[in-house]
Amino acid sequence: MSTLPVGAARPRTSPAPRRRGGRSRGIRSALAFYGFISPWLIGTLLLTVFPVGYAVYMSFTDWNGMTSFMPWVGLSNYQEVFTSSDTISSLSKTLILCAVVVPTTIIGSLFLAVLLNKKIRGRTVLRTLIYIPAVVPPVAAALIWKVVFNKDSGSANRILSLLHIRPVDWLTGQLAFVVLIVVLLWGVGSGIIINLAALQTVPAEQLEAAKMDGAGALKAFRHVTLPAISPILLFQTVLVTITTLQTFVPAILLSPDTGVNVYTSIPQSNDVYMVDVYEQYFDYSRYGLGSAMLVVFFAVILLMTALIFKFLGRSVFYAVDPSESGRG
Amino acid sequence: MALHEVHTEHGADAPAPSERRPDSRPAPVARRLRPQRNRLTLTVLIIVALLITLPFVQLLISALTPASEITADQWLPSEFRWSNITDAINYIPFLNLAKNSVVLSALFGVLTTFSSAITGYGFARMRGPGKKLLFGVLIMTMMVPPIVTLIPTYLLFSRYGLVGNYLPWVLWGAAGTPYTIFLYRQFFSGLPKELEEAAIIDGAGRIRIFVQIFLPLSRPLLVTAFVLAFNAVWGDFVAPDLFLNSNNTTLAVGVSSGYTNQAGYTLYNLLAGGALLYVIPVVLLFLCAQRSYVRGFANSGLKG
Repeated sequence: MSTLPVGAARPRTSPAPRRRGGRSRGIRSALAFYGFISPWLIGTLLLTVFPVGYAVYMSFTDWNGMTSFMPWVGLSNYQEVFTSSDTISSLSKTLILCAVVVPTTIIGSLFLAVLLNKKIRGRTVLRTLIYIPAVVPPVAAALIWKVVFNKDSGSANRILSLLHIRPVDWLTGQLAFVVLIVVLLWGVGSGIIINLAALQTVPAEQLEAAKMDGAGALKAFRHVTLPAISPILLFQTVLVTITTLQTFVPAILLSPDTGVNVYTSIPQSNDVYMVDVYEQYFDYSRYGLGSAMLVVFFAVILLMTALIFKFLGRSVFYAVDPSESGRG
Repeated sequence: MALHEVHTEHGADAPAPSERRPDSRPAPVARRLRPQRNRLTLTVLIIVALLITLPFVQLLISALTPASEITADQWLPSEFRWSNITDAINYIPFLNLAKNSVVLSALFGVLTTFSSAITGYGFARMRGPGKKLLFGVLIMTMMVPPIVTLIPTYLLFSRYGLVGNYLPWVLWGAAGTPYTIFLYRQFFSGLPKELEEAAIIDGAGRIRIFVQIFLPLSRPLLVTAFVLAFNAVWGDFVAPDLFLNSNNTTLAVGVSSGYTNQAGYTLYNLLAGGALLYVIPVVLLFLCAQRSYVRGFANSGLKG
């Protein structure tokens, strides 16, 4: 677009005062800019930067939340994060969770998106039904699956009894981890939405050309569709990984008896990283160690985000917007 | 039902059945193949949709099962006990909790919608040093998991005795939501420059231009932003669990921890009823405002 700069239409007097006027106008417009973004800027400083800084500070101390001073312990909390068997165990559970949930979600949602993208009867209804779990809050998702996997009345065990398998205690032992995976996979719908939007960005001419060249559906998908949507797939992979790494609510709410103290009855197998962080803070009052765990987690997220920026650039953030599709 | 309008029509309709020769017209075989393939697609999708929907059916059945039959080995209870629902409402202060949820969600929703619009406008239509950098910061904060800031924020607030009320939500709302700001920025960037120029000639200030011209134009986005924000607070468990107490906490906390008997055992039929009532408004809101949701989801990726 070639619109004239605002100043250009003005009558040209001597250049000097105009530049001065321009400068003061620049200052005024800069002030206005900062005025407009100040709610966010101040809010981010106060509610994001400051708390993160506070956590970083706490991570170097052995504070228990009770004393008025915070005993400085240097890097020993960080050492504990990477060496203590507790954190290593919770971290490995979280990584296993990611290893299962991330690929399944990405591939599953892409597969379903391709199917839902076809012109078939009842597509809108099917899309709606498959999306619905994605809008169900994690709290409700956990409670719903808790009912389904409940030992006595849940349909999971009813189905097993049809197969002559004795009822299983899903929510207390190792199997609770399976239930946790199911809860996380249930929300596949939001991935489908992203993928459906991504599929619209695939150039129709190229698909047409591939067809002309005699490529089958699978081949066209591999050589045209997949390369076109791969930035969005990578972006999604990072998003799902970040989300899965911070799994917390379903892990704590699946435990069978949610009394006053929810956190103590979590089965060992669902003691994922964020649950561990919570326990360090609120069960053991180890604010320092908990903070160190948070900081490590935060650093990992930042690193992943930075990598995304480096490899995909900002455009991927635009590309996933269906109303903007075609731009990315 | 707006879902299909958002993303269909042009482009990537699934690659059609293969045609061997480039110059051949669609062979009759291919034409016969298509409905068959679609039937397979339809079958797969129906199975997936059933698997995904079944937990809701189970929830409804459990919610209506009499307590005496909850452990019985049967698919359906001998009778649907509708008074379970009123029991579920009375067992916990359901209405009060729901009121808290609505108040808190609406409070946060209104604040964050307008605050995000203001900031989005600033990023879209104004100039200032460091704007590029700050916008980069904004996008980075989109990726910061809330739980990272939540616990230290709670510790800070409780240190100064600021917990147990809705103040944190007021502050979070006033600060705007990075993702929503991003949406507004995209929207306002796309509007023609003449909108401001005419108003500036009329002598209108920036604030008046924003309030009288840009804000009304962004009405569809206002709805999206509000729906997303409302839903986020309605569905949030961790923040109210940390910051609020039993008098002013939300339904999310009440439903997930309230349905136990004296011995601490979960009352599954009441829990199912409570969860059902808790989730119905969310699903209804989704069905009414699908387009807003879809837009939000497609952008924000996979939240919670």
